[in-house]
Order: sequence, then structure tokens, then C-alpha cells
Amino acid sequence: MPDLFKLVLQISVILALCRVVGGIFRKLGQPRVVGEMFAGILLGPSLLGWIAPGISSYLFPSSSLGFLNALSQIGVVVFMFLVGLGINPRELKNHGHAAVLTSHVSITAPFVLAAFLSLYLYPKLSDDSVAFTSFALFMGSAMSVTAFPVLARILIERGLLQSRLGTVAIASAAVDDVTGWCILAYIVVLTRAAHSGTSIWMTIGGILVFAAFMIYAVRPLLRRLEISYRDRGQLSENALALMLLLVLGSALCTEWLGLHLLFGAFMMGAIMPKERTFVRYVLDRFETITVTLLLPLFFAFTGLRTNIGLVKGPEMWMYCGLIVLVATVGKLGGSTLASWLTGMPGREAAGLGTLMNTRGLMELVILDIGLDIKVISPALFSMMVIMALVTTFMATPLLDWICPDRILREESAKAAAQEPPARAMVPAAETISA
Amino acid sequence: MSKTNRNFVIAYFLLVGLPILGLVGVLKSGRNLTAPISVDGVWQLQADPAQLAASPCGQALASRSDATTFAISQSGKTFLLGFGSVNPSNGSRSVASGTIDGTRLRASLPANSIASAPDGGCGQGRELTLAATVNPKTDPRSLAGTFSISDCPSCASIEFHAVRLAASSKKGPL
Repeated sequence: MPDLFKLVLQISVILALCRVVGGIFRKLGQPRVVGEMFAGILLGPSLLGWIAPGISSYLFPSSSLGFLNALSQIGVVVFMFLVGLGINPRELKNHGHAAVLTSHVSITAPFVLAAFLSLYLYPKLSDDSVAFTSFALFMGSAMSVTAFPVLARILIERGLLQSRLGTVAIASAAVDDVTGWCILAYIVVLTRAAHSGTSIWMTIGGILVFAAFMIYAVRPLLRRLEISYRDRGQLSENALALMLLLVLGSALCTEWLGLHLLFGAFMMGAIMPKERTFVRYVLDRFETITVTLLLPLFFAFTGLRTNIGLVKGPEMWMYCGLIVLVATVGKLGGSTLASWLTGMPGREAAGLGTLMNTRGLMELVILDIGLDIKVISPALFSMMVIMALVTTFMATPLLDWICPDRILREESAKAAAQEPPARAMVPAAETISA
Repeated sequence: MSKTNRNFVIAYFLLVGLPILGLVGVLKSGRNLTAPISVDGVWQLQADPAQLAASPCGQALASRSDATTFAISQSGKTFLLGFGSVNPSNGSRSVASGTIDGTRLRASLPANSIASAPDGGCGQGRELTLAATVNPKTDPRSLAGTFSISDCPSCASIEFHAVRLAASSKKGPL
């Protein structure tokens, strides 16, 4: 039985600190989510456990973390559903070859650079229970991810969501995330199959059957929900409960198949109808409690697993610096180069690269999976969390420096005058990063 | 094929196709790399009670309720070790930090941190050092080595044997 007093105390402390630190970061011009990620780290062994081990062990005893983790995982399950709901890779078609090339290069460049870096880091930060292939593929997928919600929030704040830069960035980030999650699914399947002794082909076959069931049986049912919404202007409580049950059911199926809860939730979101008002309506129903209550618990749980003290000595900090450098060069450099080569003006291309380099919460979700399946070690996990924080934190000031608002709007308006208007789907961004 | 399409195909091949070929090469060459031996997990500790009783730190260790197991959290060639089955990387100060060299492990921690209550024999400036060798051929893996106390000529080393409880199989393909 959970110690309810302790659990409620933990939640209260986490929520209070996340609001305070998130507010401070907002004043610094950063998305709130960056502050909340930082607050999680402050509560872990990197700060609280280091300066006040007594308070830390009273507030977060090891025996109580299971309940906190369970609550935070439910939050992430719903969050991944919302991310899947907001993503519409078909929008890429509206942007022609330029966006296809940009999005694909923004995946392959950091992915390949991360694989090269793995040749150096694997003998130093891994162990012989992890195969090099799993290690390198995980590093690749972790470095190529983009924080779709944070990116959308930055675009909304700057009034660039409907600009060419905004629509290409959103479409590219959507493709990046779908691709990154597919690669991660492959790694998880391989890893878990190796542990359980189940044939990998059985697992892959099961996942394909499940995906077909979702697309051909569940999707038509979801369309009926959308029709019902269109007719009445709202969904009944039963309909919303059914939607939530389908999310949980889908999550359970992928977990049972040897994948992970989060893939099922993401898949459920991805196959949802993409009509804008319907998406907005569903987001509004689920976002608030997820973002204000459950996600801070996830940040805290991640912070409790992040021990910056493990990054000890100049050698370890050099590895950490290399990770940040390679992640930035791969993502920012790759996206900038590809968009510039396809005709985007240099300044706008650099702005796109900066936006694509934002990793945020999506990175933490992926890293948590990597630590759970032990593909990455605790020290490497901490280094990657630092990388996620640095790359997300740098996005806003770098964008201000490279592309001042006035110039960016002028260039985007000029480009928009020469091209048909594009439409960007806004994911779960407004509350997540606000 | 129009000129635009042809340029796109060329650019796609150069910027996406070639890097993917490079990735295949990296994955192939990486298979030859060797990483440090895995010691991560929870280990069941077995030591001679007579030797434990003869050493002041052995007595302190034996008096702990969690002394029969220790947990190792490994990051490459370095690791943290804590008594009990709780993950030692959570920032607790009573964990030993150590290094791995081939199949040999070495870790040390302040001797007084293993005592559940202050006592005169074990602690104050002394270090408890663990030196052990992993046997990678056994499944689950086993460790054999000694605990010794620094600056204590009269304290005999305590020999121990440990077996990993959470056997870790290959995490991933190839």
C-alpha cells in the first residue's frame, strides 16, 4: 500500500517547485517546460540529494518511487496520445521536395553522427551486456528527435506558425518524431526479444497485426466519434471515456506484445481523425490535467534518476560536451544545410535548424525508455539529459540572435507571397509549453 | 524526369542515401568493439562468518540488515556500489565508487559509512576497499575477492564470493 501522506506530499512539492521554476524560466523568455524539466533535476540527487540528503531521503525514499513512477507513466501515456494526435505527417505533401529533403536530412545527419560518436563512447560508457548495434541505434534515435510541442509553442509565440518556416518546421518535426519512434520501437523489440527468448519475428508479426487492426477496425470507429462531434459540437462523457479506454487498451497491447506502453498510446493518437476543430476539442479535454499535474511528476521522476554527480572529472565532461556538440551539429547543421540547399534563404534556414534542434520533453521520454531497458548507463543518461536541456534552452536565444522577429517575418511574408498558403496542425503545444 | 526532380534525386542521394550507407558501415565496424565487462545488478554476498567476526568492519557489515546483498550501478568502466538492493546511483552518500579494469573491480568507501551505529573499531579516516575479479564464464556471473581496511595492520582481509541475482543477458542483437 502506498504511504498516502508521503505521496501527496511528494506531489505537492513537485507541483510547487515546477510552477515556481517554470515561471522563472518564462520570465527569462524560455518555454515553461524547460523550467519544469530543470525543476525535476533540482529535486533529484544532482542537487537536493547532494546538499540535503536527509530531506531527500525523507521526501523521496526508494520504497515510494514506484507509485510516483506509476502516476508519471500514466501522464506520459496520455501525453504521447496527445503528441500522436497533433502529428499529421501527410502535411509534408503540401511542401514538396524541399520539406521532404529537409525532414529526412534532419534525421539522417544527427543519426549518422551519433553512430560515429558511438564508436568512441561505446567502449567507455557502455558494457558488454549491450550490443553495439542497439547502443548506436539508440544514440541515433535519441539525437534525431525534435520536441514537437516546444517547437510549435515557439512558433505560436512569434506568430510564425503559418509562415513557410513554421509549416516546414512542423512538418519536418512530425516526420522526425514518427521516424524516431519507429526506430526506437525496433530497438525495444530487439532488446526485449533477446531478454524474453521470444522469437523477434513473432513480436514483429504481432505488432503488424495490431497495427492493421488499429488502422482498419479502430480508425473507422474513431471517425464516428468525429462525426458525432461535428453533429453536436461536443462529445459525450461516454465518448471521451471510450477514447481514453482505447488509449489505455492500445498501450496495454503494445506492452504485452513486447514493445512499450507509450508506442500504443502514440499510435492511437496518430490514427485519430485530424480535423482541426476536433483535434483542438480533444486536446482541450485532456491537456490541462496531463500538463499541470501528471507531466511534472514525470519531470521529477526523471530528475530523481538523473545524477549529474556521475559526470565526474574532465574526461566525463568532455564526453558530455561531445554529445552536446554532435547533437547540435547534426540536427541544427543538417537541417540548416538541407533547407538552404533547397532554396530557403540562409537566415531562415538557420532559424529552421535552430527550431529543429529543440529536444525537450520528447528526449526525456526516449531517454527514460533507454535507461529502463538498460541500453544506456546512468552516467550516459545524465549526459543526454544535460544535452536535452542545453539544446532546448539554446533554441530561443539562438533564434533571437540568428533571426530577429522583424527580419524573419519580412522574409517569411516575402516567401509566402510567392507560394500557396500552407496549413500547420498545432499539436499539444499551447498548454504544454505555456 | 524534369530538371527539378533530377536535382532532388541527386541531392537526396548525397544527403540521405550516402549517410545511410555510412551508418551501415559504422554498425558493421562497431561489432568488433569491446565494452567493459558487465557487473551491473544486484549481487548475493557470501562471506565466512568467522572472518567477519574477526574484523571490526566485518562486524559492522554483518550487523547491517541489508549486508547479504549489494547493488552495482555501472557506467562503462566506473560503477557505484551500495549495500542492499537499492540502486546506488540515487545519490546516497554511503556508496562506494569504483573502477573496472578488464575483469578486475576495485572500489572504496569511508569505513564508518557501513556502520549502522558509531563504533570504535570501524571508521574515522579509514577506508573499506573491495577488490574482486569477475568470472565471466559462469551464468549468472560471479565475483570473488576481498574487503580490506586501510591503515589497520591488525585487520585481516575478509574474503567473499558473490553471485549476480539479476542475470543480465545480451541486451540487443548481434
